[in-house]
Amino acid sequence: MKLLAGALLSGVMMLGAGSALAQQPGGIVNVATIGEPPTLDPMVSTADLVGIVTQHFFETLFTFDKDWNVTPLLAESLPEITDGGKTYTIKLRTGVTFHDGSAMTADDVVASLKRWMDLASRGKQTAGNIDKVEVVAPSTVRIVLKAPYAPLLALLSFNNSAAVIMPASKMSNPLTEPVGTGPYKLKERKPDQYIQLVRHESYKPRAGSADGYGGARKPLLDEIRFVPVPDANTRIEGAISGQFDYVDSLPVESYDRIKNLQTTKPVLLKPFGWPVFVMNTKQGVMANTDTRMAVRLALSMEDMLAAAFGSKEFYSLDAAMYPKGYVWHSEAGTEGKYNVADADKAKALLKKANYDGKPVRILTSRQYEFHYKMAQVAAEYLKQAEFAVDMQVVDWATLTQRRADAALWDIYITHSPFLPEPALIGQLSESSPGWWSTPARKAAVDAFNTESDPKKRPALWAEVQKVMYAETPSIKIGDFNALSAQSPKLDGVMPAPWPYFWNVSIKK
Amino acid sequence: MSRYVFQRLLGMLVVMFVVVTIVFIIVRIAPGDPAAVMLGPDATAQDVSALRTRLGLDSPIIVQYGIFFGQLLQGDLGESIFLNRPVLTALADRAEPTFFLTLFSILIAALIAIPVGIMSAYWRGSLFDQGATTLAMLAASIPSFWLGLILIQILAVRWGVFPVSGYGGPGASLMTRLSHLVLPAISLGVVSSALILRFTRASMLDVLNDDYVRTARSKGMSEFRVIMKHAFKNALIPVLTVIGITAALLVSGAVVTETVFGLPGVGSLVVSAVLRRDYPVIQGALLIIAALYVLINFLIDMLYLLVDPRVRY
Repeated sequence: MKLLAGALLSGVMMLGAGSALAQQPGGIVNVATIGEPPTLDPMVSTADLVGIVTQHFFETLFTFDKDWNVTPLLAESLPEITDGGKTYTIKLRTGVTFHDGSAMTADDVVASLKRWMDLASRGKQTAGNIDKVEVVAPSTVRIVLKAPYAPLLALLSFNNSAAVIMPASKMSNPLTEPVGTGPYKLKERKPDQYIQLVRHESYKPRAGSADGYGGARKPLLDEIRFVPVPDANTRIEGAISGQFDYVDSLPVESYDRIKNLQTTKPVLLKPFGWPVFVMNTKQGVMANTDTRMAVRLALSMEDMLAAAFGSKEFYSLDAAMYPKGYVWHSEAGTEGKYNVADADKAKALLKKANYDGKPVRILTSRQYEFHYKMAQVAAEYLKQAEFAVDMQVVDWATLTQRRADAALWDIYITHSPFLPEPALIGQLSESSPGWWSTPARKAAVDAFNTESDPKKRPALWAEVQKVMYAETPSIKIGDFNALSAQSPKLDGVMPAPWPYFWNVSIKK
Repeated sequence: MSRYVFQRLLGMLVVMFVVVTIVFIIVRIAPGDPAAVMLGPDATAQDVSALRTRLGLDSPIIVQYGIFFGQLLQGDLGESIFLNRPVLTALADRAEPTFFLTLFSILIAALIAIPVGIMSAYWRGSLFDQGATTLAMLAASIPSFWLGLILIQILAVRWGVFPVSGYGGPGASLMTRLSHLVLPAISLGVVSSALILRFTRASMLDVLNDDYVRTARSKGMSEFRVIMKHAFKNALIPVLTVIGITAALLVSGAVVTETVFGLPGVGSLVVSAVLRRDYPVIQGALLIIAALYVLINFLIDMLYLLVDPRVRY
């Protein structure tokens, strides 16, 4: 997959690689995060914050390079795929040690993959496609599938709900002692105060240069300290005062305050992700395809994005599920179905659907203020199309609970970064809240998931997108950018959806 | 006296039982699910259900209450769902910043409010009195978190005198940790001083016209001795009460200030526990806070015995 914001980003990467030659090891960085991760077990959580922190001490067999292609990490190379795409033989790197000093073996890898299939939500989804995972040789493992399943490598590469490798002897549940192979190891965790990581002295980076999340990972810093700072204003002030070397997830309104300063500078990830309105296709008002399409045609994505993100510097209108630059980018199926804001067309569809005026329950949270702002604008456009609207503003914990019950909501609002593999998009799963399950979905998604030829898959993804636009199980609102801040003293920081600090150093 | 103390202690136990029960019920009635929060946004319903079973959250509420109460009688507040440690340990870890923050805030509040309150009463109706009363009104009206943000802006960002947030990194010395408390203590202290100032002023006004003050003056005592030895000592009882209540409020009410300043205290623990629906921590923390409240009130009543010889039980 390709991130073509790319010519620019690749240039930056090359500069980063160049500067790595002159980087000096040593020093401590303080990273302000949006809060305390709910767990340090990256298998059991899909929260981004868990992935951001744990990717420094846990590693997967594969990861993503700067163009979002799968690249080996703990595996020696990409797997040998035989038997019509059903058998993956994976050679492991030798000489890799865990933080407790023991050597990584094929037994550890198989035990870890089995734990992932038992505990991780993505692992459980994958387990249905897996016939067996076995040790072939001391440094070779084999995964045998029941049928070809193309997303497997991306799933084994992803850093949340992650298939991380841990020693077979230290994989209790709940995980009490996080021991991985990563460039940093956990020294101390004081909940809500800091998570202290120190260099894994025995870490052997891969040969070659850095390449996105892949390539050589050099633990240049002595320590990384993740400090939870839940209040966004305090994070901004912490960046400006220079207390934190890197500050994650800042409100876009703070951009003007942090540019042109000596203590900090903005880091803009463009584009970062997409806000989405997920429809309850199982029961209630939105179980009708015409009603869902009426919602789509009633909305002004432009006004919603403007209300949510303010300046056009931080958002863009984009009907495609993936922006330009990704190999998955396609306009298929989007024509006349995005940013329409046509109340009359919506009313006609509602008439066809025999809409009885029952309120549309929009479930949203102010935990992400942009969700709430978009919901407010959407409610007004829906009212213009003669929908009755019931806005239900709850905290995020309540939202995640209520959305699991199809009787409680019609639309809920969430967002996602652009995931390297479309099969990872939650709404595509029949079991994900929204419960989209139709013959057209099954045909399109199955064709996409079983095709392992990378050249053929983008066209198949375009077919999935077409069905998504025709049946409207969810509505993508647009693309938005993420703002963070870093000290000018830091060298080697790459804008990334899950920021990482290997290959980062402090300028002397 | 001992009978009174015994009755008070018994009453405290009843209050605590009621608090425990109400907290348990409220926490369970509130929507939200710790399992869903722990597993993240893309977890399936089956995963959430499996974790609920593991955490014992799928048992009937009365069974959960029985288990909770049984543990409580053995001094066990349970285990945090997210922190993987006993609730008491989690609370003990957070006690230091909250204790010092409360102490410093009360000290700052008292150091501002008591002298200004005394002078305000002494010079009643003067420009000083009017200015002090107006400032007290202003301080009472300012949200402490807003004042906190202003202090961060000036003293931390512009002048760089104090850190913006947190409680020091690994191995931070006590002095470093305490330096993180200066700004939150000022913001809480200033806001809390308003109430104490108004009570001090009102209480002093009551006693300044009493006969014993006039007698003290007629004996030729200096004004300072009259005020401090005779008037203030007798005005102290209501002031002590309000200081005690303010201290109890600070332990539980510094929630927003602790969050703004990123302090890992009891208040921020409660906030994060509520957001994550970490039931054992919410229950344990509220229980301890309620116990502190009850205890502080009890201690204030006992203090009356020392300060006012007329008080006898």
